[in-house]
Amino acid sequence: MKNVFVLAEHRKQHLRDSTWEAVTAGRTLAKDLGAELTCILLAADTASMAEQLAKECHRVLAVEDPLFETVSSEAFTKALVPLLADKEPYMMVMGNSNAIMDLAPGLSVALDAALATDCFAFEVRDGKPLATRQVYSYKVNALVSFKDAQRIVVTLRGGAFPFVPSGSAAGTVEKVASPISGEKLRKRFLSYREAEKGDVDISTADIIVSLGRGIGDEPDMEMFESLAKAMGGVLACSRPIVDKNLLPKYHQVGTSGVEVKPKVYLALGISGAFQHVGGIKGSPLIMAVNKDARAPIFRVAQYGIVADLNEIVPALEAKIRELKK
Amino acid sequence: MDIIVCMKWVPDTSEADLVIDKEGKDIKKDDLDHDMNDWDRFAIEEAVQLKEKLGGKVTVVGVAPEDAEEMLRECLARGADEAFLLWDDAFEGSDGFAVARILVSFIKARPWDLVLTGTLADDDCGGQMGGMLGAMLGVPSATLVSAISVEDGKITFNRELEGGLYEHMEMDLPAVLSVATGLNEPRFVSIRAVRKVASVEIPTLGLGELGLDESLVGVQGSRVQIEQLTMPPEGEGAEMIGGKPEEAAAKLAEILKEKGGIG
Ligand SMILES: Cc1cc2nc3c(=O)[nH]c(=O)nc-3n(C[C@H](O)[C@H](O)[C@H](O)COP(=O)(O)OP(=O)(O)OC[C@H]3O[C@@H](n4cnc5c(N)ncnc54)[C@H](O)[C@@H]3O)c2cc1C
Ligand SMILES: Nc1ncnc2c1ncn2[C@@H]1O[C@H](COP(=O)(O)O)[C@@H](O)[C@H]1O
Repeated sequence: MKNVFVLAEHRKQHLRDSTWEAVTAGRTLAKDLGAELTCILLAADTASMAEQLAKECHRVLAVEDPLFETVSSEAFTKALVPLLADKEPYMMVMGNSNAIMDLAPGLSVALDAALATDCFAFEVRDGKPLATRQVYSYKVNALVSFKDAQRIVVTLRGGAFPFVPSGSAAGTVEKVASPISGEKLRKRFLSYREAEKGDVDISTADIIVSLGRGIGDEPDMEMFESLAKAMGGVLACSRPIVDKNLLPKYHQVGTSGVEVKPKVYLALGISGAFQHVGGIKGSPLIMAVNKDARAPIFRVAQYGIVADLNEIVPALEAKIRELKK
Repeated sequence: MDIIVCMKWVPDTSEADLVIDKEGKDIKKDDLDHDMNDWDRFAIEEAVQLKEKLGGKVTVVGVAPEDAEEMLRECLARGADEAFLLWDDAFEGSDGFAVARILVSFIKARPWDLVLTGTLADDDCGGQMGGMLGAMLGVPSATLVSAISVEDGKITFNRELEGGLYEHMEMDLPAVLSVATGLNEPRFVSIRAVRKVASVEIPTLGLGELGLDESLVGVQGSRVQIEQLTMPPEGEGAEMIGGKPEEAAAKLAEILKEKGGIG
């Protein structure tokens, strides 16, 4: 590999954490592949973000265009194709945020590159990179290779490459004119919209009883409400529970829902997908009831019970009421 | 508006005990139930709702072996007008990129305004098909889409970002949209609806019918190869509470009390 590129992600003129995690992964990959590391910043106004990147990365390529106001998959792809022409062999690293999920797959096709999404580890064998990601409901790890690909795009699992600032790179910023200036896009950003807020704010709750798909299609919601009440906590849930209209959206814990930072988190019938667990902050005591001993939730929980939650919940509530007397 | 919906047939792995096979490159699937990918249930529903509003035709298509006919038939019962299975022994071992090529060979051969997919499949957790199809077809695409509405050859929708934030967007047709779960309420399918489509023919198209060369599909046509599957260690970190349900629940209650989990 000649080049490792890190694509910076930003929102509302600020670099996002995913950018710094990509810098972390990019640094190691560049070292292991003997390649040169370059950060690519496409933004409406690059000055301050490029300066921040240059503190951590020796080379920054900055391209300014109003079309890069948001991470627009169409604008980014159209610009990156000419910018990366003749730069192969290369590997391009970026976060796996919701904005990048929109960009990376189409970009990989446009660049004629191999793609692996949501990678959480890399290794290099015989000068070739391999990536580890997860398959089958995030329950199995898969080590993947890229054949003899001369162009590779990878996206990174959030949190897998923690960033430690060095602040000492004193890198150079190369400004390049936008190759797509004045182009008309077929996909246009109109405005930001926020999900509605509700009467419960789970983000400030200390005790959370969280429900997942394991509660079944016709759950006895009163049973769970009653348990939450006995514990003095609130009900929260995973995404499928909102999708089924069993609880409103503002009860959803996760990357696309609400970030919570309770003291205690009781997960009932939740598998523990990273998009869910990613919404649990502040290292609370996590307890999980799941009938599958291999459920990923047990990897982040401190205590677990492998059982049918319908058998545990009533007994648990009874015992709690007894202990409270 | 003519809509093509890409439907994936996936093993139900979320609750099953998974075992890696001898070669170490896949799991044993023979004993697993299969079903339509969860996100795709929302995609077919959205297509049928758009058709009910705007007219046109809904075509469903899946790259999968014969068993997946069951899923496509369910889509017909949900309101799709026609269904195609794309399969050939040569497709075995295709990665997402090769599957995208197969789907594109099908899509290009017919008229359409909109292609719908789910955002993510439960088996490869790739989240890549929609964007790849858009790029190969030369049309715009978007993932994690909800609140879709169509007017004057333009489509508007919300794209999900993190933390309850959405991008409200507008896009020219034709286009590819990958839907977010929860954007609609998939309908209940009655037994009558299922019976009505029981004898509808679902053609299978292979290499020849799709005009594909063997080198473009399967392992040969793939860009990413699985080298090795491994199971992450079980319950790493978690202390498992055993015993009968009442005993385990009682122990859990005591731990909760001790650790401040009872307010
Ligand atoms: C871009 C993106 C954003 C996302 N954002 C979020 C988000 O914000 N929040 C979120 O939660 N998800 C989010 N997801 C979805 C996420 O990937 C998972 O699909 C989801 O979290 C799974 O929810 P679950 O654990 O309830 O269901 P499943 O994964 O289906 O798990 C159900 C669990 O219940 C167990 N179970 C079944 N029956 C019983 C029983 N009787 N007793 C005990 N256990 C039982 C099963 O063993 C299984 O482990 C997002 C996905 C994407 C792609
Ligand atoms: N083999 C396939 N046949 C039909 N559609 C597919 C196939 N693979 C993926 N898709 C579609 O692409 C979406 C995303 O899948 P993936 O990129 O595999 O995560 C799925 O929800 C399906 O709509």
